[in-house]
Amino acid sequence: MQADVAVIGSGPAGLVAAIEASRSGARNVLLLEREEELGGILKQCIHNGFGLEQFKKDYTGPEYAERLIDEMRKTNVRCFLNTMVTGVSADRAVTAVNPENGVFQVEAKSVVLAMGCRERARGSINIPGTRPAGVLTAGTAQRLVNIEGYLPGKEVVILGSGDIGLIMARRLTLEGARVKGVYEIMNYPGGLKRNIVQCLNDFNIPLYLSHTVTEIKGRERVEGVVVSQVDEKMQPVRGSGEFIPCDTLLLSVGLIPENELSKGAGVELSRTTNGPVTSETMETSVPGIFSCGNVSTVFDLVDYVAQTGISAGRNAARFAAGTWKEDGGSVAVAAGENVRVVFPQRYCFRDDLIFYIRPAKPMEKPVTIGIAPVEMNIKRLYARPNEMIRLKVAKEKLQKVSGPIEVSIKER
Amino acid sequence: MGIEKRHFTCVTCPVGCEVDVEVQDGNIIFLTGNRCDKAKEFVQQELKEPVRVLTTTVRIKDAEYAMLPVRTDKAIPKRLFSQAMEELVNIDLKAPVHISDVIIKDIAGSGANIVATRTMNRA
Repeated sequence: MQADVAVIGSGPAGLVAAIEASRSGARNVLLLEREEELGGILKQCIHNGFGLEQFKKDYTGPEYAERLIDEMRKTNVRCFLNTMVTGVSADRAVTAVNPENGVFQVEAKSVVLAMGCRERARGSINIPGTRPAGVLTAGTAQRLVNIEGYLPGKEVVILGSGDIGLIMARRLTLEGARVKGVYEIMNYPGGLKRNIVQCLNDFNIPLYLSHTVTEIKGRERVEGVVVSQVDEKMQPVRGSGEFIPCDTLLLSVGLIPENELSKGAGVELSRTTNGPVTSETMETSVPGIFSCGNVSTVFDLVDYVAQTGISAGRNAARFAAGTWKEDGGSVAVAAGENVRVVFPQRYCFRDDLIFYIRPAKPMEKPVTIGIAPVEMNIKRLYARPNEMIRLKVAKEKLQKVSGPIEVSIKER
Repeated sequence: MGIEKRHFTCVTCPVGCEVDVEVQDGNIIFLTGNRCDKAKEFVQQELKEPVRVLTTTVRIKDAEYAMLPVRTDKAIPKRLFSQAMEELVNIDLKAPVHISDVIIKDIAGSGANIVATRTMNRA
């Protein structure tokens, strides 16, 4: 099978990339999805707050997905559902398997990786204790409640204050469970402020910062957890442990970009994002292979994910059409002072540079975000790790740059 | 009447402005920390009656999936949330349902309707 552009994954990033590739003139766009319907994780995110920027509407996840799917149906994108991609090669041969075609191969002129991310689970945070039923990730609980219609527990403790954990605190409360508290190891919350307000404060659910779960108790089923305070080095404070009876522990302890396929294709991965090293065009280190959305780095908002999808789709179409100009070289984009993550990691002088910046620590004073060497200094009232900063630098401003571009945040 | 100082986090958009206000007789006489006018509307509404959009699921029969996601078509008073959830427990709903179809009118006497947030086909 041949394709101009093959897109792997039909969450928001993949859907937007496929639509944009088609609109940009790619004639034969394939969208490969392992589940039985399109939309990815949007289908279980039944809360509102999606597409405020992109569509100026306050959609729920399923509404946002359906809008994108409707737009896609107006294009020539062809979808393969129940189709698991098992490999991508550096020369853009995509191997996939589904019940209808068995194992088959797609020779694509360009590939867009949009596999999203996965949740960190108990194994990645090493909580001591027994291994009873009732310990699950926030996303698994979300699927059980919102798609399958099961309440995973009645007395719930949530470890980690990522957005999905906050959303599930509200969701489980509405469905009649008692959420005893959200415990966050850091001294600042992981999720967006609006979610702290509408998901915790609105329902009087307490948030304990600088706390973690130090033991899980229970034989068959969770009977409770021990929570402890942590010090500045994030080590549990001796004697601070408190037993909290509960039947369920939800984990909302971070997301990791899903890059098994990227690795197989020889795509260079970043150690800070765990996603492909990409340029502003969303091209990875392998020519003709692009990536977008949470497979690249975990974004806070679907609007940001969609923006990277637009870029990946448009450029994948350009590449497939053969109008991709000769490589004009590139410079590194680096994280400077007080910056944990900067995305993308390279600039190759083709498009405007849209930065996504995650501050390294909370800075509650007015800050200046500096972009060297273009002498851009952007002022903000604060910088926080739970609020990704997006900035745009026009292509024209960057023409004469010859060395690395560095982003830093300084207190004013 | 004295002037009361209050603090709000505007939840209208992901920016989440931290707004400090001075209130007299239920009216805002001073407001700071907001980046747009929506924060003022938000605070005014919070002072009067906090309202939110309710999003949840309802059981659906003969459908592809067990649960249909739904929402209120406008924000409703927070205090009506538990009553609204009660009213949604025992509804008798069958596929097919189209996105935006009204599932229940005037939920919990709020004046808002419960609408489907996805299209659900027959199993």
